[in-house]
Amino acid sequence: MSKSTDPLQQIYRIIIGLIIIGFVYVIWPYIATVVVMLVFAFLFTTILLPGVDNLERKIKSRGLSVLIMTIIVIAVISVFLGGFTSGLVKQAKEFSSQLNQDDYISDLNSFAEKAVNSLPEFVRDIIPRTGNMADKLQGQVSGILQNLLSFAGAVGSFLFTVVMVIIFTVIILYGYYHFRKSLVRFIPNKYFEIGLRLIFNIERSVSSYLRGQLLAATSVAILSIIGLFILNAFGANLTLVVFIGIIAGLANLIPLVGPFVGMAPAILIAFMNNLGNDIALGHKLFGVVPSPFFIPDIILMFLIVQQIDNNYITPKVVGQSVGLHPILVMIALLIGGTLLGPLGMLFAVPTAGVIKVVGQEIAFVSRNAHLL
Amino acid sequence: MENAFWGNIFQGWRREESPTVLTLKQVPIFEGFSDKRYREIEKLIHERIYKPNEYVFKKKAPGVGMYIILSGKVEIFIEEADGKKQTLVELEEGDFFGELSLLDEEVRSASAIAKDHSTLLGFFRPDLFSLLERNPELGNKILLNLARVIGARLRKTNELLAESQAAK
Repeated sequence: MSKSTDPLQQIYRIIIGLIIIGFVYVIWPYIATVVVMLVFAFLFTTILLPGVDNLERKIKSRGLSVLIMTIIVIAVISVFLGGFTSGLVKQAKEFSSQLNQDDYISDLNSFAEKAVNSLPEFVRDIIPRTGNMADKLQGQVSGILQNLLSFAGAVGSFLFTVVMVIIFTVIILYGYYHFRKSLVRFIPNKYFEIGLRLIFNIERSVSSYLRGQLLAATSVAILSIIGLFILNAFGANLTLVVFIGIIAGLANLIPLVGPFVGMAPAILIAFMNNLGNDIALGHKLFGVVPSPFFIPDIILMFLIVQQIDNNYITPKVVGQSVGLHPILVMIALLIGGTLLGPLGMLFAVPTAGVIKVVGQEIAFVSRNAHLL
Repeated sequence: MENAFWGNIFQGWRREESPTVLTLKQVPIFEGFSDKRYREIEKLIHERIYKPNEYVFKKKAPGVGMYIILSGKVEIFIEEADGKKQTLVELEEGDFFGELSLLDEEVRSASAIAKDHSTLLGFFRPDLFSLLERNPELGNKILLNLARVIGARLRKTNELLAESQAAK
């Protein structure tokens, strides 16, 4: 190829590139949902792939392995969500019926009174005295129930997304190695081996990170459940213990913010269950520190679980698989949170990990460009 | 029209073997498997087409796997300090090279360049590792064959070394 055509070719490439960017920009609103579904499907595939490979090793059929794995995952999620929803509804009903009882109303009002009276006088004057706290709470609860109806509509579209993600995941899991081979076919000879290396490294990094995180989340969930049972043994009167533990484990997947989110349901339930119980209100942590409704106990328990997780579990199971600097983790979380909310925070670190691996490979290629 | 009674009407029942499987059968690393196993290996093989004088890989590039020549010719060479090219070997259809890269992540010890329009079959480390996960029986057989090939090369190298030392 003569050199005189190079500038023309470059202009041609730039024009083609601009057309592609413009096209993607125009069609993005229509394909965004599908792309997000595919990203989720890819992440689930990465988590489930070793399990499917192991099953295939035993039963010698890829299709059957994918089917069994899908049934197991759907069953586990259904049991969890079913149990959690029914437990939550039961809890809400109990709380709602408690609000209708006069004793409970007076307890709540006296608690509100006590809380206000314990404040310094200048703060007390600022708080408007609008009477019955129980009435207000009851109004809030019925408001929440009305909101549930509009929530049902959102659940419908969410279920559609879930079904689509499951279908995509099954298809990718079944033909994973075939898809990878087809993808590799498009890499030009010059970049072929480096491309293979890149795909392999990304696969390895993301899958070890995700599996490590899942193991760490499971450990946090189990430790939290044990901790909550211990608190119950001391009279904390917590219900939905298993679900609180699982939520704490899942929340733990979001670095930095997650552990605090994980505490919230436990504190809320401790407050709801123990309202009106003078023993719980006057409880003291280690017999010294005032701990109304066992809330400081719960916070301390979660802090201990966090310490065990941060110092012993996560370093072992997640290790240096992504190895990002804490500042980079924070920046990734902020960007993820701004772009996609909690989901963005969940995927921020693995995405940053993928970008890091790609960056390392590009740096490697540019250092060794003479080898291509 | 074929005579249905005497003619071999069952010929069509035989599964036609693809050129890839036929070539794989000649390679010691994939020797001695059943047809079903060859079809499984075929799924892991990447077919690549090279133009004349196109590099397959360069010396010191990180190796990812081995190549088998389905058609065409490949020259293996090193460049000496003065830039002079020293051809180590010229490989043809059915020959294979780069198998050490299946085992480690070391860099290539020589360069490989296509001499004609060549079609190569690539078998790479990530695919071998995933095969070991999913089908350890087949993966281990390939590893055992690979060890035999490397052992044979080592024995030959020892013989040549002994010969050259004896000649001194």
